[in-house]
Amino acid sequence: MASQAVPKDHVTVRTDPIPAGEAVVTLENLSLWYGDFQALHDVSLTVPKNQVTALIGASGCGKSTLLRCVNRMNDLVPSVRVEGQLSYEGVNLYDGAVDPVEVRRRVGMVFQKPNPFPKSVYENVAFGPRLHGYAGDMDALVEKSLKGAALWDEVQDKLKQSGLGLSGGQQQRLCIARAMATDPDVILMDEPTSALDPIATDRIEELIHEIKKDYTVIIVTHNMQQAGRVSDRTAFMHLGVLIEEGPTEQIFTNPQHEMTERYISGRFG
Amino acid sequence: MSLKGIGTPADQARLARRKRIGQIYRIVTGIPVVLAVLLIATLVFDVTTDTVSWHVVEPDNEGVNLSFQEGFRWFGTWEHVVTQELEARGEDPAATLGDAEERRKFGLRNRVELLWSLNGQPMRWVVSNSRDDRVASYGWFEGNRMHDELLAGLEGGEQLRLNPWLDAAFFTKNASRTPLMAGLINALVGTVWVILLVILISVPIGVGSAVYLEEYAPNNWMTRFIEVNIRNLAGVPSIVYGILGLYAFVRLMNIGPVVLSASMTLALLILPVVVIASREAIKAVPPSLRQASYGLGATRWQTTSRVVLPNAVSGIVTGVILAVARAIGETAPLLMVGAAAFIPRIPDGPFATYTVIPIQIYSWVGENDPEFANVASAGIVVLLVILVALYAVAFYLRRRFERSW
Amino acid sequence: MTQNAKTLARAAGLHKSGTRNVGERVIGIVLFLAASVSIVTTAAVILALSAETISFFADPAVSIVEFLTAREWTPLFPESQRYFGISPLVIGTLMVTFVALIVGLPLGLGSAIYLSEFANPQTRRSVMSVLEVLAGIPTVVLGYFALFFVTPILRDIVPGLNLFNPLSAGLVMGFMILPTISSISVDSMQAVPRALREAAYGLGASKHEVVAKVVVPAALSGIVASFILAMSRAIGETMIVTLAAGQKPTFTFDLRETIATMTSFIVQAAKGDQPAGSLASQSLYAVGATLFLMTFALNLVSQQIVQRFGERYE
Repeated sequence: MASQAVPKDHVTVRTDPIPAGEAVVTLENLSLWYGDFQALHDVSLTVPKNQVTALIGASGCGKSTLLRCVNRMNDLVPSVRVEGQLSYEGVNLYDGAVDPVEVRRRVGMVFQKPNPFPKSVYENVAFGPRLHGYAGDMDALVEKSLKGAALWDEVQDKLKQSGLGLSGGQQQRLCIARAMATDPDVILMDEPTSALDPIATDRIEELIHEIKKDYTVIIVTHNMQQAGRVSDRTAFMHLGVLIEEGPTEQIFTNPQHEMTERYISGRFG
Repeated sequence: MSLKGIGTPADQARLARRKRIGQIYRIVTGIPVVLAVLLIATLVFDVTTDTVSWHVVEPDNEGVNLSFQEGFRWFGTWEHVVTQELEARGEDPAATLGDAEERRKFGLRNRVELLWSLNGQPMRWVVSNSRDDRVASYGWFEGNRMHDELLAGLEGGEQLRLNPWLDAAFFTKNASRTPLMAGLINALVGTVWVILLVILISVPIGVGSAVYLEEYAPNNWMTRFIEVNIRNLAGVPSIVYGILGLYAFVRLMNIGPVVLSASMTLALLILPVVVIASREAIKAVPPSLRQASYGLGATRWQTTSRVVLPNAVSGIVTGVILAVARAIGETAPLLMVGAAAFIPRIPDGPFATYTVIPIQIYSWVGENDPEFANVASAGIVVLLVILVALYAVAFYLRRRFERSW
Repeated sequence: MTQNAKTLARAAGLHKSGTRNVGERVIGIVLFLAASVSIVTTAAVILALSAETISFFADPAVSIVEFLTAREWTPLFPESQRYFGISPLVIGTLMVTFVALIVGLPLGLGSAIYLSEFANPQTRRSVMSVLEVLAGIPTVVLGYFALFFVTPILRDIVPGLNLFNPLSAGLVMGFMILPTISSISVDSMQAVPRALREAAYGLGASKHEVVAKVVVPAALSGIVASFILAMSRAIGETMIVTLAAGQKPTFTFDLRETIATMTSFIVQAAKGDQPAGSLASQSLYAVGATLFLMTFALNLVSQQIVQRFGERYE
């Protein structure tokens, strides 16, 4: 059975909930509609600081939509409507006074397919800081960001060459460096390795491990092994509903909800 | 607020500045759109108002006046009106009109004109021997502005008249040296003949080319050459097609400056447009339909004629209509292949001498008498109405066509 | 199954007997013939232009050096006053084109950016239709508009402006080429992958920054191609210049002077009904060949740009 209906009154199963003080991003009863279609149903989730939170679930379950709420990327879809609260460091990001441009500066994003600009490696990294009027030493910032993305050694001689000339894995790390350059607190990753080969995937996963000391990472993945390898906490979604969330180990070894268990063991999705 | 940075005034100022720049972008890029729409509106407004003008006219009490219906003949209006006039003057029409010398002298002294009627009828024919004349002419705006002043200044029987140049008579009169007598009938019929042949020539060749390129052509250098060639032809200026028509059809094939030469020239001119539009329409037919047909044992032509073309027809028709609209408005190539400014007879076939609406407009614009500008604008309004109707049909079809897949 | 014409003829005969394969072949050949009309057309254009142009230059009264360097163009005059320097026509053409581009490029690019990036889909759709109608206005109508509406207004503003002048013609022509630039540029901007836009938005770019720093640079090849194509159209345009810019070849760079362009000369020469084979008639073809070469080169460049750079980001 491919898609099992979720009972209307489903209450998210939570193991080891995060105390409010450790949260960076908090979602409270977040619902989202594309036109008449409701893509998210009353999702509440707390994302802890300097940890990796994985969102898993079958395709179409709303995990990418949820991710894109965090930096208000969904605003770009004309017919979208959001209800509920999404707070970042205590500020409701969907408050009328908050500018999505400011949000995205603090919440970086890495996309499914590497999408470097058709500009040089250097200009790719410098793009964000320039937008935001970075006044410091740009060369140093570019170097620091590329080092942070474990790419510096490979590209330090090619800074003036086009970012499109790099390999797929390098391009994705360039995109991570680009996201880091605006000095965000949170980095969103939307299936960042789905277009990459296994070796490049390994390197990205290692990188995620390293950067979590400086950043809070939320990652969407359809690859359960990956979720198991990189994340500290995992949230399982189905048809726009957050079914269960908790420490990754717990979700994978001892899921509390029957749907989670079936998904983990590969029986649907 | 703990959203770091949002509180610092420098950041806020910067954000505000970026927002202002964004607004400026939106406005600055929106201006050209407004300008383009304004230009079309201005053009239509200007042309339409040019078809009406005010005149102070002085009545005459001599000679005959024939109402438009009485005086108008498909051929020989001049003779008819002059005959009536001469009879009224008590002279012998046969003596004047039959003798070539007398006829010429009379023609030099008198002009047959269509004038506004002062006795209820909209138009009347008079032989004007400086007896009945327009005292003054004013454009629509000028006339409106000065309306009261003009009315007050009328002397001895003078009247202020509004002349609509674009009236029913405009469609039944031939071109003329007298603005009031100038009409569109020959050009209208000429356009119909030319365009009819253009469609007959360009549609089979154009759709055939498209079918060949989409359904039959092997993937080789020849096919690519044809494709590149068609793209290039689409960018050749229309006047160059005129040169081709002059050289190949009018002179080399010796067809002469007739409807057929014009049609062949225009057919070649719109051929690339027809081919490109037809290819798009054929491409839009889902491959699954073709496979279904082949799967039933249909041959390539059976598939093409019974599955592909019927499903592509509205797209092809849309493309053909737009291409024909272009052909209807073309002037330059036809000036090359001998469209005449004035032809005495209504074109009656592929080998008739001809004129078309845009050529007629062009020649009116070039006339000295400023009232010909009013005549030209009447022709333009007719041309634009035809084109707008074609575009409306094309847009309607396109919209329906888009929905069907 | 076949290689030569005889076999094909036999095939055509067999078709009547109803053999399916042969019928298919005949249809294929007929369709190929239809497609080859375009090649014949191109060949005929080149033949017509080159044959008469060669005769033109073969005449002892004309030299290529004079054609390229002399500053007077009077081939329709009596023999003693004839000069064959094409530069007045080329300069006239370029002046009108220059004005048209000054007007048309910013308007075309601006409207394209607005329509592709700022307008909602419904506005975009209806404005694109309006632009298509603008592109469909016959140029003789635009010429009328330039002569009877734009020129009188300009003469109030610009002192010393002639009744026929390249300024008015160029201004109106700028609007004529606007739809060309706009529609091609909109297409190429719409083709910029969403991923690129999202990357910029994800870094905190606001809309105008995405447009200026990502969309326009990525669509640049299409935009440049549209500019070149528009330039080619302006050079080849005939009726607006014939009506509004004049028919007097003048070696001048003054936008207020009456001039002639290559196209308006061609019309003038054709209307005069020069006897075939005369130098006056051949001069028409020589100018036509020059015009053809210029527009052809521009079209080729525009296509090359699209082909070489167009698909880089897909």
